Amino acid sequence: MLEWMVWTPPTALVFVGLGLLLAGMAVWAKISPPVARRGFLRIETDRGDRLYIGLISAAVVLTVWIAVTDLSMWLALGCALLVALVIGIWG
Amino acid sequence: MTGERLNDVSGDVSGEVSTAGAVVAGDRVEPEAPVGAALPRDEPGGQADTKPRNNRAWFLVLPVVVSVAFTAVIPLMTVVNFSVQDIFSPTDRIFVGLDWFRSVSRDPEVRAAFVRTLLFSAQVLLLEIPLGVAIAVSMPRHGLGVPVALVLVALPLLIPWNVVGTIWQIFARGDIGLGGWTINNVLGVNFNYTLDSTDAWITVLIMDVWHWTPLVALLAYAGLRSIPEPYFQAAQIDAASGWATFRHIQLPRLRGVLTIAILLRFMDSFMIYTEPFVVTGGGPGNATSFLSILLSKIAVGQFDLGPAGAFSLLYFLTVQIVSYVFFTVLTRTGR
Repeated sequence: MLEWMVWTPPTALVFVGLGLLLAGMAVWAKISPPVARRGFLRIETDRGDRLYIGLISAAVVLTVWIAVTDLSMWLALGCALLVALVIGIWG
Repeated sequence: MTGERLNDVSGDVSGEVSTAGAVVAGDRVEPEAPVGAALPRDEPGGQADTKPRNNRAWFLVLPVVVSVAFTAVIPLMTVVNFSVQDIFSPTDRIFVGLDWFRSVSRDPEVRAAFVRTLLFSAQVLLLEIPLGVAIAVSMPRHGLGVPVALVLVALPLLIPWNVVGTIWQIFARGDIGLGGWTINNVLGVNFNYTLDSTDAWITVLIMDVWHWTPLVALLAYAGLRSIPEPYFQAAQIDAASGWATFRHIQLPRLRGVLTIAILLRFMDSFMIYTEPFVVTGGGPGNATSFLSILLSKIAVGQFDLGPAGAFSLLYFLTVQIVSYVFFTVLTRTGR
């Protein structure tokens, strides 16, 4: 049925991960509602905003990395997750 | 008072809250919650402030979520799947990892088109937003002039993209087009958009300004009309000049509509395709081959689905970032 979508295991994992992440955020929001505050980004964000900004920033890190260096993409993934984590905690 | 009550729709989303006016059950979706809240009722004395808001009205957007999932998210997933594979036929495909992203992001042609498109969008915004606001401010506010001005301003918006392209393709020609002929023979400037890349660029830019400034003007005009008259009367009493009135009353009140206008014009100009395709076909050389023209060449012309998928995702990422930054800056500054 989903053959037309030409799934591959890695992309399926990525989307399942994203889905779990969003579901997790929804559950977390239910348990303790998010509070907006100001971090080093200087704008008022709650944790959902920071997740979005973090994911986009991680994508930027990966893109710039692949565009300019031949170093391992696992290293890039590490840096990207680190950036997302830093933004999520202190952003 | 009523407004406060609207916001204080009692409610922990998970809990069950009962007030004099209505009972809101925790597991029942109640989209009309804000409407119910407008009914007169007793506040549950002082606790309302600390309680989280009832957000059940958000369930009303479910149809949008479903339709967007069907028309945008699922196709986007497919694009992601395309971008990591080399596809020869539906049954014959190879996983290539991030190779397409590497080759696309390092392709000098793609990079040049990227810079070109960003430059074009920046110029479009710099020209259309001030011009649109200026037109809106100088449009009449009363009398017969209003419908006349509205219709005149809205006319270019009614013309389809490819027709606009055709109009300008002919209009800007040096031999039979009124605009091109005038520039060449009356002003004495050598203008030929099929040979000179600057001329081609200017033609496409002016065409976009002609086509889409009216949108900015109409949005700004709607924003201006919504400013209550007492603001202007107060300005008049203070003997404020026309510029001061504009700077301190009209412009701040236009923030909302200008946010929409800037976002729409950025996204639209960043994906501009039909008009330059009709007028110049991306040429001369690569002078006006914007990202969308290059992308459609790769995706539809050469049918390279993998590189086109990677290209689309990088394109999409850029639109996301710029739109989010605009939106954040325009809606959160001054808070």
